[in-house]
Amino acid sequence: MNWFKSQDGRGFLLALPAIFWLGVFFILPLFTIVVISFMSRGAGGVAELPYTLAHYDRTFGVFSVILIRSIRIASITTIVCLFIGYPLAFFISTRKNRNFQNLCLFFIILPFWTNFLVRTYAWRILLGDAGTINAILLSWGWIEEPLRLLNTEFAVLVGLIYGFFPFMVLPIYASIERFDFKFVDAAHDLGANDWTTFWRVVFPMTLPGVLAGSALVFIPSVGAFITPDLLGGTRGLMIGNLISRQFGGSGNMPLGSALSVVMMAVVLLTLLVYVRFGINREGDD
Amino acid sequence: MAYDIRLKNVVKVFSSGKHKGVVAVDNVSLDIEDGEFFALLGPSGCGKTTTLRMIAGFEQPTEGSILIRDEPMEHVPPFHRPVNTVFQDYALFPHMTVLQNIMFGLKMEGLSGDAAKQRAYEALELVRLPEVANRRPSQMSGGQQQRVALARALVKRPAVLLLDEPLGALDLKLRKQMQYELKSMQQQVGITFIYVTHDQEEAMTMADRIAVMSEGRVLQVGSPRDIYEQPQSRFVADFIGETNFISGTLESHDNGVGHVRLAQDTVVDVQMPKNFSLSSGAVTIPIRPERIGLLPNGNDSPFHNMEDITILTGHLLDSQYIGTDTRYTVKIPGDNEIVVRIQNVDYLETVDFEIGQEVQVFWSLKSTHVLDH
Ligand SMILES: Nc1ncnc2c1ncn2[C@@H]1O[C@H](COP(=O)(O)OP(=O)(O)O)[C@@H](O)[C@H]1O
Ligand SMILES: [Mg+2]
Repeated sequence: MNWFKSQDGRGFLLALPAIFWLGVFFILPLFTIVVISFMSRGAGGVAELPYTLAHYDRTFGVFSVILIRSIRIASITTIVCLFIGYPLAFFISTRKNRNFQNLCLFFIILPFWTNFLVRTYAWRILLGDAGTINAILLSWGWIEEPLRLLNTEFAVLVGLIYGFFPFMVLPIYASIERFDFKFVDAAHDLGANDWTTFWRVVFPMTLPGVLAGSALVFIPSVGAFITPDLLGGTRGLMIGNLISRQFGGSGNMPLGSALSVVMMAVVLLTLLVYVRFGINREGDD
Repeated sequence: MAYDIRLKNVVKVFSSGKHKGVVAVDNVSLDIEDGEFFALLGPSGCGKTTTLRMIAGFEQPTEGSILIRDEPMEHVPPFHRPVNTVFQDYALFPHMTVLQNIMFGLKMEGLSGDAAKQRAYEALELVRLPEVANRRPSQMSGGQQQRVALARALVKRPAVLLLDEPLGALDLKLRKQMQYELKSMQQQVGITFIYVTHDQEEAMTMADRIAVMSEGRVLQVGSPRDIYEQPQSRFVADFIGETNFISGTLESHDNGVGHVRLAQDTVVDVQMPKNFSLSSGAVTIPIRPERIGLLPNGNDSPFHNMEDITILTGHLLDSQYIGTDTRYTVKIPGDNEIVVRIQNVDYLETVDFEIGQEVQVFWSLKSTHVLDH
């Protein structure tokens, strides 16, 4: 019996630890959350019977503004990261000098060497009313009064784009790196100009990287809570903040659960798009 | 005479990367005629692909000019040149079906819909693969991909088709079959083919004319027969088929016949090429093993009294049975060792030679030739 080729039941044993892990740390909590989201709020915010749909009502009612804002912020973050990240990844991966490529990648992941919280606090200093940016603009006489930058949706966007940008660049870099430029020659040979060659050959063939990067940026952005907490104030409040509050001291666990379930549904939908276009395509090749 | 492609003193120097100043193509001039099957033949690294890529427009010549149908191509990008390429590893777009691959080039011409589809199917018919239209390149064998690559290029009806070792990845049997098919396809569509290969047999069987390249230079251009029978350099003689090189000294010549001394008492006659650079001095006589006859010494050769036959005595050093032929190695005067190939047939009386025995080798003046080095 060859373990490396095993197609029968025994190969399943290899996956057993992972299945156990998933069961205890993922399926079980998920199931609990779903159940709790249909229960009523008891004293101190815990869940109790009877079952109710009230929390979903509120989620899609009063909180829909925040839900939509979260999706909007995550979408804009993803799109901006993509528009800056794709050309950058293209630039890096087409450099002939390997050392230069590695240096560029090093600078892209350099921010990861410091704590995320610290980096986000740094943005407070930059964006504050008396912050660096306002100070510079004032001293140049471009503005009369400090701009309101901190505690806005804009600040959240800046923080998220800054924080998740590497997750967009790296997968795209990898896919362009793998791309063979003989296909560009082939497209040119068949009469396609540079523009058409890019959109009909290069982009589709590097799409797996684009989709992976987009998923890696969108998913954590939609559920972000540290960045909006520190930079967004009330105007930049996101669903992640709402959820974290419900599980705190005088919160509402069933409501928090309902919000979580809806957020997970949003994430799942994006993943479905990814699977449909990304994995499918790669599988075909 | 209409020339489809002209290369005038084309030089290509690659200066990027670590190896500064690689001269990939060195002063190449070629005139390729309308409708010709033209082969670029040479060992790996001699600049064949680079030459082809300059014609296609993927590389710019460092010096010299390229004309396609009398138009200078200097500022014409690849997508505006009336040539198409069959790439060495096909370069079929993996994210498109076969049909989409073939229609890609038509779409770029603004042709779409049923008209494009019909032409694509015609191209698939031409390469005899109509049933794979909806497959992906990865779902096909190497031979099928090769045909699709051909169809994708031919569907554009280019003036000239450039093929870079298109059969290199196929196994021997399929390669032979495709050689035949390519040749007949070329005659059918009447498009000029420039065919890059390092396989001399492939070039010989398919091409109308061959340019033999070495180290970036074109050494000789001619029909397969010219190249084989009248090689103008040692490299060409050696690269194409098997050749003996007999060294001697040219003493004199008259009426196109040179007299070359191999040893003190041995002078042989050779055909002299026109405009031969030397009138005397050290020369090499290239002669093909199958053009030499072999008889036991003492036999009265049936050719003894004929003019234009050279007969030398030597002794047999080795014999090697290789199926279709037997290869004999014979030592002849002047410290020359030559290989003689005799076909193994049984409608003639066969002679059993013994190693070490005295033999006669003989050849006709017509089979001879002389090189100046
Ligand atoms: N892009 C390039 N950069 C540097 N050197 C190159 C490049 N392409 C080819 N060469 C060099 O040019 C020479 C000829 O290459 P090539 O035309 O590919 O030969 P062939 O097709 O006959 O095998 C080789 O020495 C090769 O290393
Ligand atoms: Mg090559």
